[in-house]
Amino acid sequence: MKRSLALLSVVALGLAACSSNTPAGDESSAGADPNAPVTLRVATFNEFGYEELFTEYMADHPNVKIEHKKAATTDESRDNLNTRLAAGSGLSDIEAVEVDWLPELMQYADKFVDLTNDDVKDRWLEWKTAAATTQDGALIGYGTDIGPEAVCYRADLFEAAGLPSDRAEVAKLLEGDWAKYFEVGKQFVANSDAAWYDSSDATFQGMVNQVAEPFENPDGTPKPLADNTEIKAIYDQIMQAKADGLSAGYAQWSEDWTAAFQNNGFATMLCPGWMMGVIEGNAAGVTGWDVADVFPGGGGNWGGSYLTVPKQSENQEAARELAAWLTAPEQQIKAFKSKGTFPSQVEALESEDLLSQTNEFFNDAPTGEILANRAAAVSVTPYKGPNYFSIRATVTDALNRVESGTDDPASSWDKALEAYQALGLS
Amino acid sequence: MKLSPYLYISPFFILFAIVGLYPLLYTAWVSLHDWHLIGGQGDFVGLKNFADVLQQPRFYNALKNTFSIFLLSSIPQIITAIFVAWMLDANLRAKTFWRMGVLLPYVVAPVAVSLIFSKLFADESGLINTLLTQIGLSPIGWHADSFAAHVAIATMVNFRWTGYNTLIFLAAMQAVPRELYEAAVVDGANRVHQFFHVTLPSLRPTMIFVVITSTIGGLQIFDEPRMYDTLGAGGADKQWQTLTMYLYELGWGPTRSFGRASAVAWLLFLIIIVIGVVNFLLTSRISNSEGKATKKGAQA
Amino acid sequence: MSSVPMIEQTAGKGAARYARRKLGMSGGTRRAGWGTYLILTIVLLISVYPLYYATQLASSDAATIAKNPIPPLLPQGNFFNNMNRVLNSDINFWKAFWNSVTVSTVTAVFLVIFSTLAGYAFAKLRFRGKGPLLLFVIATMAVPAQLGIVPLFIVMSKLGLTGNLAAVIIPNLVTAFGVFWMTQYLRQALPYELIEAARVDGCSMIQTFRHVAIPAAAPAAAMLALFTFVAQWTNFFWPFIVLDASNPTLPVALQLLQASYFKDYSLIMAGVVISTLPLILVFIVTGRRLVAGVMEGAVKG
Repeated sequence: MKRSLALLSVVALGLAACSSNTPAGDESSAGADPNAPVTLRVATFNEFGYEELFTEYMADHPNVKIEHKKAATTDESRDNLNTRLAAGSGLSDIEAVEVDWLPELMQYADKFVDLTNDDVKDRWLEWKTAAATTQDGALIGYGTDIGPEAVCYRADLFEAAGLPSDRAEVAKLLEGDWAKYFEVGKQFVANSDAAWYDSSDATFQGMVNQVAEPFENPDGTPKPLADNTEIKAIYDQIMQAKADGLSAGYAQWSEDWTAAFQNNGFATMLCPGWMMGVIEGNAAGVTGWDVADVFPGGGGNWGGSYLTVPKQSENQEAARELAAWLTAPEQQIKAFKSKGTFPSQVEALESEDLLSQTNEFFNDAPTGEILANRAAAVSVTPYKGPNYFSIRATVTDALNRVESGTDDPASSWDKALEAYQALGLS
Repeated sequence: MKLSPYLYISPFFILFAIVGLYPLLYTAWVSLHDWHLIGGQGDFVGLKNFADVLQQPRFYNALKNTFSIFLLSSIPQIITAIFVAWMLDANLRAKTFWRMGVLLPYVVAPVAVSLIFSKLFADESGLINTLLTQIGLSPIGWHADSFAAHVAIATMVNFRWTGYNTLIFLAAMQAVPRELYEAAVVDGANRVHQFFHVTLPSLRPTMIFVVITSTIGGLQIFDEPRMYDTLGAGGADKQWQTLTMYLYELGWGPTRSFGRASAVAWLLFLIIIVIGVVNFLLTSRISNSEGKATKKGAQA
Repeated sequence: MSSVPMIEQTAGKGAARYARRKLGMSGGTRRAGWGTYLILTIVLLISVYPLYYATQLASSDAATIAKNPIPPLLPQGNFFNNMNRVLNSDINFWKAFWNSVTVSTVTAVFLVIFSTLAGYAFAKLRFRGKGPLLLFVIATMAVPAQLGIVPLFIVMSKLGLTGNLAAVIIPNLVTAFGVFWMTQYLRQALPYELIEAARVDGCSMIQTFRHVAIPAAAPAAAMLALFTFVAQWTNFFWPFIVLDASNPTLPVALQLLQASYFKDYSLIMAGVVISTLPLILVFIVTGRRLVAGVMEGAVKG
């Protein structure tokens, strides 16, 4: 008697799992049983905040076992992805990729599954989806997070230098273009021992992400660097700011940069959501950090990732389902709460759960609301073609040469032009 | 009977064919093609990849850096190793303690060595520059100045490998028949003489081994310079980009040119062979001419 | 002509030891003066300091490290706390640890066997093509390893071994270095007279190898085993590429300590210490015999 009851409940459970599992369209037409046991491998890097979500998914889908491969840095993850793409095997069922890798991945979009599906239609901000859509309209990645940028600042250092320190007043103070940001910086450094910002390269990143076609024309042809007046103007502006003593001159993530958080090295930072966790960790015990709802020159986005399903995967449909679930607004909000990865999903951006989020370390700033505003302010999506990285690296190197004191701005730019020539693009 | 020597070497060669030879030939094949790392095989281009690479100033810059770091590491390293080995060869108390102490750095993983030394050599927050400023000297631009960067990278290499080479030399020194020293003493040789006329010449096979392996290792240096800063690209001016880093950048960097990367690998291979042969000839000549003086002693 | 090795062969180890002592050979001819000890002490301090520095940082916390470029001379109180954080992080520490033990041990054992076989043949046997073959082996050492990664990965995935520990073990079972090392050593340490003596005594080729070559090779083999063990234990890039998350080695697992955007040096250095500690233990336990063995057991011609 007992046995048959147990049996019955197993059958019932199985049925329940079946019904909840089958989406509107019947995709199991390929003959695969949706409830057959399947192991899905997911490769991520840094912090996606997925650990608990995986547990939750496996509890809901007893037939699914998730193996998580996590790389410490994006570089390692990228080496891994490239080696396995090159070898033609060994990729995980879901591979997380960073937005910056997309220009290259788009060149071999045929190695990834087109994830277009009705259940994710209009899920993301338009520009987030656009970056992962090929010219033929194939969607190769589901957006996870984005990096809308605000300005993080040290209220105590502002106050000591005679600047307003309240976050609303600071937002008003910095409202405007980059010239304004540098102008206030000059006032600040005149009255303080600290620098205005941490790094020239990080500032360059903020400026160049507001240029619609920074290094290439929309047809994919490169713009000769020698004729690229827009980039040269940004370069000159940053070099001027450097000469004015605004930059602390650190390479981000370096030992000195990390240490500077404890030693009042600089007063502001361009600050996407994920950067706040970095500041909080590095500046542990330092009081005075706050975040202002403002960004020079409008809005800007820095970083953010996607989940892709490589064609190498033998469980493409199951992988797609998991990716769709992970990138659903509810899940992304949970990830944001645990690791600060700010959602790219339209619905999530309006969710009360997100908007009410505050951050104790940043003087209880309403970070959910501020970042949602900053995301709305993003108006330009820079075109990044196949040669974006090669060309950008020549300018980044030029900036860093001056930053580290190995060269002066003019000769460093000449070297960048030489390096551009050496790329042999035109 | 004639077959059996081949039986001894066959396990090595069979495995080697799979894990060593195949990658080698594959690379050679790739270097002759227009080959995108991910896009795969393109047209056969003959030696074009080699010609392209040889026209790049970056190639010569990397070559220069590689040699600079190689010389800064291998020469002091071998001299120190021989010297310390000679010290250890003396009649010491607690021999094992000293020997193990010297080998200790070798058990620290290269990744860990890089982490530790990056902290020590940090421009502003590093221990070394802080000490320099405290005693009134000016800090050294470990990352800005190319020579300083080479010295710092060579230091990491020397830290990990000097003890290792010391022990190899020590093993060889212990193998020197003591009769040779006795004979030398009878001939009236003092310690310095003994060192130069008995110890050094006897180290010949070991010296060849150490010189060849450190030439190969030194010219292929990758981990230490790559981890020397956070970007891992050899500095803004590529002032510490080595050849292996350059080939890595070509193949895995934005250009993804596996063909050119393979060409650099083969060029590096040829360079190593040439330097290795030169070193081999130099080493055997030096040891030979030194060796003649003691030939008589050896027969005693 | 009563060289010690001959005594050892004819009259046994004890007699050889006695003869050595009588000749005053066991520790070199020179007595070490205070100058030697002074220099060695300096060398030792340099050898130990970087690791000690890592311990200093591992016993501190991130903020203190950033504020004080010169760490306090004695380790601070946070050491065990940081160790605990490493062991209790989401890293599967013990699995990674045993994987590393397996990989390093298996590789070391087989590499030594294969290298000794080949090294003996190259050093002491005559056969056609010996010179060119040895030269070829040495030459392959000059091929930059970075490039082998893609073809090697293709081989491993054809064999269906990606994600398996075997994929880390197999490529390292044979190295040109190992063969070169054993060849050079046996050339010097194994006199032809011994081989001939064994033959005269009626030993077959295999018996000669077992009874003459292996004992002669033992010290170098022990050292090669140690080198190989260490090299595999500290190997990062290839295991990272070829292994899967569920089955990492120690360096692959420990790199995750740097995975958060924020670099906590006290935690990272705790990882450095914790991964080096087992090696130091192996070193202390076996090292004494090993290092001493290299020096004393050697049969010299």
